[in-house]
Amino acid sequence: MMKCGNDKAMITSWLNNEMTAAERALFEQHLAGCPECSAELEATQRVWMMLEEMPSPAASDNMPVRFQAMLESYKESQQKSGSAWGSLVEKIKTIWTAQPGMQLAFSVTVLIVGVAFGWIISNQGASHKEIASLSSQVKEMKEMMMLSLLENPSASERIRGVSYTSEIKKANSEVIEALLATLNNDPNVNVRLVTLEALMQYATESAVREGLVKSISKQESPLVQSALADAMLKLQEKKSVPSFRELLQQKDLNDAVRNKIRQTITELI
Amino acid sequence: MLKVKNGDLDKLGLLFERHHRPLFGFMYRMTGQRELSEDLVQNVFYRILKYRHTYRGEGEFRTWMYHLARNVIHDNGRTLKRTIRHEEITEQTEWVSGEMATDAPMQKKQEMALLKRAMENLHPESREVLILSKYQELKYHEIAQILDITEGAVKVRVHRAVNQLKNAYLELAN
Repeated sequence: MMKCGNDKAMITSWLNNEMTAAERALFEQHLAGCPECSAELEATQRVWMMLEEMPSPAASDNMPVRFQAMLESYKESQQKSGSAWGSLVEKIKTIWTAQPGMQLAFSVTVLIVGVAFGWIISNQGASHKEIASLSSQVKEMKEMMMLSLLENPSASERIRGVSYTSEIKKANSEVIEALLATLNNDPNVNVRLVTLEALMQYATESAVREGLVKSISKQESPLVQSALADAMLKLQEKKSVPSFRELLQQKDLNDAVRNKIRQTITELI
Repeated sequence: MLKVKNGDLDKLGLLFERHHRPLFGFMYRMTGQRELSEDLVQNVFYRILKYRHTYRGEGEFRTWMYHLARNVIHDNGRTLKRTIRHEEITEQTEWVSGEMATDAPMQKKQEMALLKRAMENLHPESREVLILSKYQELKYHEIAQILDITEGAVKVRVHRAVNQLKNAYLELAN
């Protein structure tokens, strides 16, 4: 028998139908002239066919049932644990839903923060408004008190009234008018001097300055005249010069005052 | 399978329906144990679920499934013994081709028993390649993918396995 040099694996490939049409044709051609290969093929084929006949057990019917159970439990576990990307969100959700206390704590915190914030805001506004209204009320009261005190027959009470002006930073025209009237008409020298001092703190207002200049000719007390001279010098009020010159014409003017006024005039000019 | 991968897990039911019987056959022929084979099939489908994101959609689902099946068998350990012993199947209703067991002549029955013995004594690697090729009806190029070897290597391996089986059978028969 001639030794066959053909690839024996071809036999199995032929049996397994793992050949191209060309390969198959070539192999079958060889097979016809090679008893060795055809004998081997026959033996192999026999075993091959027997394998096909070899029975196998059928899968039991509960396999699909088991599968469904497995699938369901897997889906459940997926919903609980979540996939890779959603695991964090799932985790938070799990914690969130698993602990109602956390939800409550969160709600309470939000509520407290909100209430506190609102309280601070409204309180700030309220306090500002309250203080503003309170201070204006106090101011009004002081002005009223001052004005009523200026009408008081007691000189000491009138002085007390005038002294309230130190607490009134920005006096209204009514207060200034009242003070100027006191300066010009009050019978008590001390009251007039205190009033002059009080008016000096509003000297930036032109009405006050004009009133003070006019008051120069109306004063008879040497003390007040002297105080006015000092005041005009302090304010460097040049408009007061004619009033002072007029005052110098008065024959009964105090010598000390006359000297002081002359000095004031020269300093102002 | 791509639908399963994208989250439609119920679609796995269709795949199970289509593939669980052949897969069970593979497992049974590899292990020789019926209950174990059922467990292993479950295991394979569980892994399909678990590792569905690794399925790339390249090639057939079947090759990927058998790839996982081999890993399951490997992890099971005891099934990779050099020889296996098939359980005696006495109840004829359990056989797919049950009628053959009763109607077949005595000689045929004996021949089958011998062939079974020959298979059992085969090297696991050879047995596996024979099963994949003969019973699972996989093509050489598919087997190559599953075993991660070349198609030429599959061809040689199958041929060698068939010869081993043939010789073992003839030895037993004589």
